[in-house]
Amino acid sequence: MATDIRMTTHKNQVTMATIASTSYNPREIDNTVDIPGRRSPLITGNQTYSSVTEMVCRVAEEPQPMLWYVLFGFSSVTAVMFLSLIGYLIFTGVGIWGNQNPVFWAWPIVNFVFWVGIGHAGTLISAILFLFRQNWRTSINRAAEAMTIFAVVCAAIYPGIHVGRAWLAFWLLPYPSLNLWMWPQFRSPLLWDVFAVGTYASTSLVFWYMGMIPDLATYRDRAKSPFKRFIYGLFCLGWTGSSRHWLRYEKAYTLLAALATPLVLSVHTVVSFDFAVSQVAGWHTTIFPPYFVAGAIFSGFAMVVTLLVPVRKIYKLENLITLRHLDNMNKIILATGSLVGLAYGTEFFIAWYSKNQYEGFAFLNRAFGPYWWAYWTMVSCNVISPQLFWFKKIRTSPLLMVIVSIFVNIGMWFERFVITVTSLSRDFLPSSWGYFKPTIFDGLMFFGSFGVFMSLFLLFCRYLPTIAMSEVKGVMSSTEHSEHAQAALLGHGHGGHGSHGHH
Amino acid sequence: MSDHKPKTTNGNRPPRAFGWMAEFSDEHKLLEAARKVRDSGYTDTDAFTPFPVHGIDEALGIKPTKLPFIVLCCGLTGLSLALLMQWWMNGVDYMYIISGKPFGITPASIPVAFEMTILFSAFSTFLGMIALNGLPRFSNPVFTSARFDRATDDKFFLYVSAKDKYYNRESVRELLAGSSPDHLEEVIEDSSPAALPKAVWLGALLLVLTGLIPAMIVLNMRAGYSTKPRFHVFFDMDFQPKKKAQQTTTIFADGRTMRPQVAGTVARGQLDEADSFYLGYDPAKLAAMEAVGNAAKLVSVQDGSAPAAGAAAPAAGATPPAAAPNTNLPWLDKLPIEANEANMKLGQTKFQIYCAACHGYGGYGDGLVHKRADALAQGFWIPPSSMHIDRIRSQPVGQIFHTITKGQGKMPGYAASLTPKERWAIALYVKALQKSQNASIDDIPVDKRSQLEPAAPTAAAPAAPSK
Repeated sequence: MATDIRMTTHKNQVTMATIASTSYNPREIDNTVDIPGRRSPLITGNQTYSSVTEMVCRVAEEPQPMLWYVLFGFSSVTAVMFLSLIGYLIFTGVGIWGNQNPVFWAWPIVNFVFWVGIGHAGTLISAILFLFRQNWRTSINRAAEAMTIFAVVCAAIYPGIHVGRAWLAFWLLPYPSLNLWMWPQFRSPLLWDVFAVGTYASTSLVFWYMGMIPDLATYRDRAKSPFKRFIYGLFCLGWTGSSRHWLRYEKAYTLLAALATPLVLSVHTVVSFDFAVSQVAGWHTTIFPPYFVAGAIFSGFAMVVTLLVPVRKIYKLENLITLRHLDNMNKIILATGSLVGLAYGTEFFIAWYSKNQYEGFAFLNRAFGPYWWAYWTMVSCNVISPQLFWFKKIRTSPLLMVIVSIFVNIGMWFERFVITVTSLSRDFLPSSWGYFKPTIFDGLMFFGSFGVFMSLFLLFCRYLPTIAMSEVKGVMSSTEHSEHAQAALLGHGHGGHGSHGHH
Repeated sequence: MSDHKPKTTNGNRPPRAFGWMAEFSDEHKLLEAARKVRDSGYTDTDAFTPFPVHGIDEALGIKPTKLPFIVLCCGLTGLSLALLMQWWMNGVDYMYIISGKPFGITPASIPVAFEMTILFSAFSTFLGMIALNGLPRFSNPVFTSARFDRATDDKFFLYVSAKDKYYNRESVRELLAGSSPDHLEEVIEDSSPAALPKAVWLGALLLVLTGLIPAMIVLNMRAGYSTKPRFHVFFDMDFQPKKKAQQTTTIFADGRTMRPQVAGTVARGQLDEADSFYLGYDPAKLAAMEAVGNAAKLVSVQDGSAPAAGAAAPAAGATPPAAAPNTNLPWLDKLPIEANEANMKLGQTKFQIYCAACHGYGGYGDGLVHKRADALAQGFWIPPSSMHIDRIRSQPVGQIFHTITKGQGKMPGYAASLTPKERWAIALYVKALQKSQNASIDDIPVDKRSQLEPAAPTAAAPAAPSK
């Protein structure tokens, strides 16, 4: 068997025992400290290429913990409930929701924007951080990309079922509908949305899948059952790790990163056009694109933190997803959270400065009108709570950071609620003012979308490589090079503070 | 090499050798060995590594890829397609007029054009990479070595193919051995079958066939014809759960889908006059008549149906119907409009347009239509009434108005053609006409009587139509 050879022929043998001995101890290894002139290690615990493989593959190869089954049972039941409710909605009509004149865009759009926003972190980590050569992305990009895809799946459901006749949702595509040969209206931001979200979903999927091919090959080569070997072999397309293949693969990865970077910025820009291109006071502002993009990254990173903290704990991946990774993500949350806070302030300033009475009213109404509670929930969750990340103690405490990021996600949902509902419920015609009340189906279906999201994510952890092994190894190799060079430059030997002991 | 024994394919011929493969546990050693192999002039070489080793393309002499060029072409294709699509769909084939914006390529075309550029580029990047790499390739000689499983884990392999034009089994082995690899072996033909298992083919075939079923059903339905109505998965707007006029329903106690006017409803523009102005009778007085019979009469009057039909008896001067239903109704006997010259002129004009065709200019029921119909002698022609018979002469002005409005017998109602005021004006004119044909000397003021000829001191002959 292949495994026997692996264990007996390797010079620096890595067995389960060595992995156990390099188990994570947060007090012992603190890679969140920056020492001038030296790069902090990206992964901890004296890892070798083989131990990285072992740690990641173990997640899928060993039996899942009881917690996985509990969570999966719960979330799959929730997902099934969501799907049944969609069936009920299609056969009954969108009247089961609380959408009512004047608030025709209510929770479905709020949830759509919420999920699309969350879906921004993955591609941002994969693409933008790749272009900026942020090597720490390698430990988190796979899970973040997976999360992106699943969030976009949840997002795409909402406009699809909100169109009323969901079975004709394909008319959103350039399709000559009915016998009228009627094409879509390309000057509408809602149609731009179809293209933006569609391109984003498919490109993210390709990016995610392509990044996974080498790791699927690792899974294939370690698979013990012929069936698993066949399935993983099928999906890794017969990857061998040939240098010619790697050359084109890396080129393709760079190209995809370069393409996905403007794409990720465009998606939430276009989503914001849905609002900004309309005339409604509180929507019709040029600040929306950057403000939405910042908010999207903010919420996406919060969701990555919320998911990865338990994942690294449950699957014992603390040496790969180190505190430094979490610390870095929290810094991004702090930065984008402050940007979002600045945007809130700017909106108010412009509403006053423009001397536009409708804008002025819309914003005063947001903060002090009938939806004041939503507004102040949003402000406390989005502006105040991330400020806690100025403190390193909070930034490096897994429990506290999860609490803060959950608050951030609550706040970001409320942000979309505030934007959508407060402006619509108080538009230009006071006689048509109203107060939006959600129904039980609004709530259950939003809750249900989390079931879909979590089920997909749990299946991902169970069957697919949660960490980009080949990329982590590549970074290990290049870091070592740079450390050699650095050591030579500084005139002292390599050792003592070694980040990797495999050499 | 101890774990590897030469395998045989068919038992009789020696297995084909594909080349030599050296295994290293370190990328630096791999790079050194690769440079040596390159410097020795071998070109059909490859390295297999768990991650992209930097410098290996230079060390092996791998040429850069043309992938970016392919992506550029596809990206530009996507951009042009997007612009063409938007221009043609919204500017040529189905021109939408949206806020007066120009047709064709506008700034509003940018988002879709941008997304399509990215879409085409991204997919061409991925598919181009796959195609240039010759993937998917499930059967590969390098997989024959069990050790090769670690190429995706932590081992580095250098491979020299037997297809290289300078290949010599022994010298390549020596060259690779010189780099002191962890392991060196010859890649030989795989004894296991390269083809996919039959079950997989069968499964795939079955899947494809099953996938075709819906398409076949749709095609069959499209091409053939059926006497049964179309099958509707979704009703769309073809079948709506709604009631139409004249249908019955169980929702309302009276079983009618159409609802009566809500009590007290006033139509737009009818607030300025009393109800009697539009009806010819006083509805308040009518309501006060509590007798059921009168209410029934009202219905018949409103419908212009049964009892009134008797009044259209052809023979002028014939006995009035036994039941003269309209006589005891509260008809207006006073004109609601002023009896002045302007109204009289209006009534005359409208009478001559709408009434005279049948009733004649004098009101004797001898209009052109009557004459012509009579001449054709169709037998069933019912002549229009003369207005100068007692029954009609005794009618109050409200009843005349009502007849003009609702019609009588064969005569249609003129409510659609004449305004209420015009109808009252006609009633006024009819009254004047009647008077003119039945006047007595007493009707003439005393001082004017002398202007009349003494030959006609008595009342005008009642049957003098030509006057």
